[in-house]
Amino acid sequence: MSTRTALWRNGLWDANPGLVQLLGLCPLLAVSNTAVNGLGLGLATLFVLVLSNLAVSGVRRWLADEIRIPAFVLVIATLVTVVDLLTRAYFPGLAVTLGIFVPLIVTNCTILARAEALASRSGPVDALIDGLAQGLGFAAVLLLLGAGREILGQGTLFADAELLFGAGAARLEIHFPIDGVLLAVLPPGAFIGLGLMVALHRRLDRRRSGRVAEGAPEDPAAEAAP
Amino acid sequence: MNDGALPHRPALALAALGAVAALLLGGVHLLTRDRISEAEQRRALDALTGLLPDSAYDNDLLDDRIEVRIPGLAGESTVYRARLDGRPVALVADVVTERGYSGTIRLLVALEAGGVVEGVRVVEHSETPGLGDRIEVRRSDWIEQFGGTSLGDPPIEEWKPDRRGGAFDTLSSATITSAAVIGAVRAVLDWYASNRRQAFEDRHDEDPDAPDDEGGGP
Repeated sequence: MSTRTALWRNGLWDANPGLVQLLGLCPLLAVSNTAVNGLGLGLATLFVLVLSNLAVSGVRRWLADEIRIPAFVLVIATLVTVVDLLTRAYFPGLAVTLGIFVPLIVTNCTILARAEALASRSGPVDALIDGLAQGLGFAAVLLLLGAGREILGQGTLFADAELLFGAGAARLEIHFPIDGVLLAVLPPGAFIGLGLMVALHRRLDRRRSGRVAEGAPEDPAAEAAP
Repeated sequence: MNDGALPHRPALALAALGAVAALLLGGVHLLTRDRISEAEQRRALDALTGLLPDSAYDNDLLDDRIEVRIPGLAGESTVYRARLDGRPVALVADVVTERGYSGTIRLLVALEAGGVVEGVRVVEHSETPGLGDRIEVRRSDWIEQFGGTSLGDPPIEEWKPDRRGGAFDTLSSATITSAAVIGAVRAVLDWYASNRRQAFEDRHDEDPDAPDDEGGGP
């Protein structure tokens, strides 16, 4: 069972798709301008990733090397379309918020990478665990980056939560007494924010493995805060 | 992995997978088609009815509509007509302007039959977050300034952002966006001023084929 623990650890921290593998950056950077947007894309990605891992694991015996990649692309594109149609039919409110993000999931290399690296060589249980772990890891990065950019950029947190969770969630919105720093909401803010998160991740990793000193700068993460 | 039971025929496997995908997509499409178009209609209706008070009209806005070309705006615009006891009350134009700062802006412009703006709402846009996106009503009340305006009020030459010497507030650092919205509202007013009669006629598809002997505008 220790390999399953490793799957969880990899997805959530050691090989986190957003912070370590740096996969799926196109949707990650584009849609992390608010916490709710980030969470919305994160959940949709998680859903597709789990389904795609399961499907690829299920058909893995039929997939010769020559057709693996086209078959993965076919599976992923089909699933994304199905998810898109189902959301628009049964959760029209959510579809309005997620509308632009759902097709973006196709561009997320994380899903292809997991199909290739893990799901096509593992049984359905491992594939499921890996999909959950990688998806949750990716969603967490999106949520944190979105929350950071929203607080700095607009002075709010969880604005428009009602679009994702229904009318009652409007109360979740928190206002901070700061004027928005526009940079945080614009595309450069996404790069800077992600860069800081990657740096922090590496620092924590290094500290944990007890190799702190080694000429690393004093505090690379805190320095450049806007 | 291909050791035994299954023949090594990649093309067949891929074709089979494709067939399964096609069946799945076809099935889901059939299952969701009606619900999706229903949901989209309801959403369009919500946006429209938000601009006009419920009691002001008694017809079905989504049914009572025409497609027209409005000079200065992109493509065909849909105009929904509101009537009470058959009399024209107001119209809502669903228009797209191409003069936004980063792409097109789609907006709904509601006019009373007398030519006064009832309200304006931006439906879709891709303006800069934090600057141009304040044309959305949930981000600022800038868009509310159009209520009660008409072609003569403010005067025609002042239908510009105040940054450019006009009568309308300019969103700071978003003059182009502001000008695009103001220009689109004015284009609808201009069109209505010269097509007032045709605007409420039944089955009016294009300007030229309306059998009208007076004032058939450009």
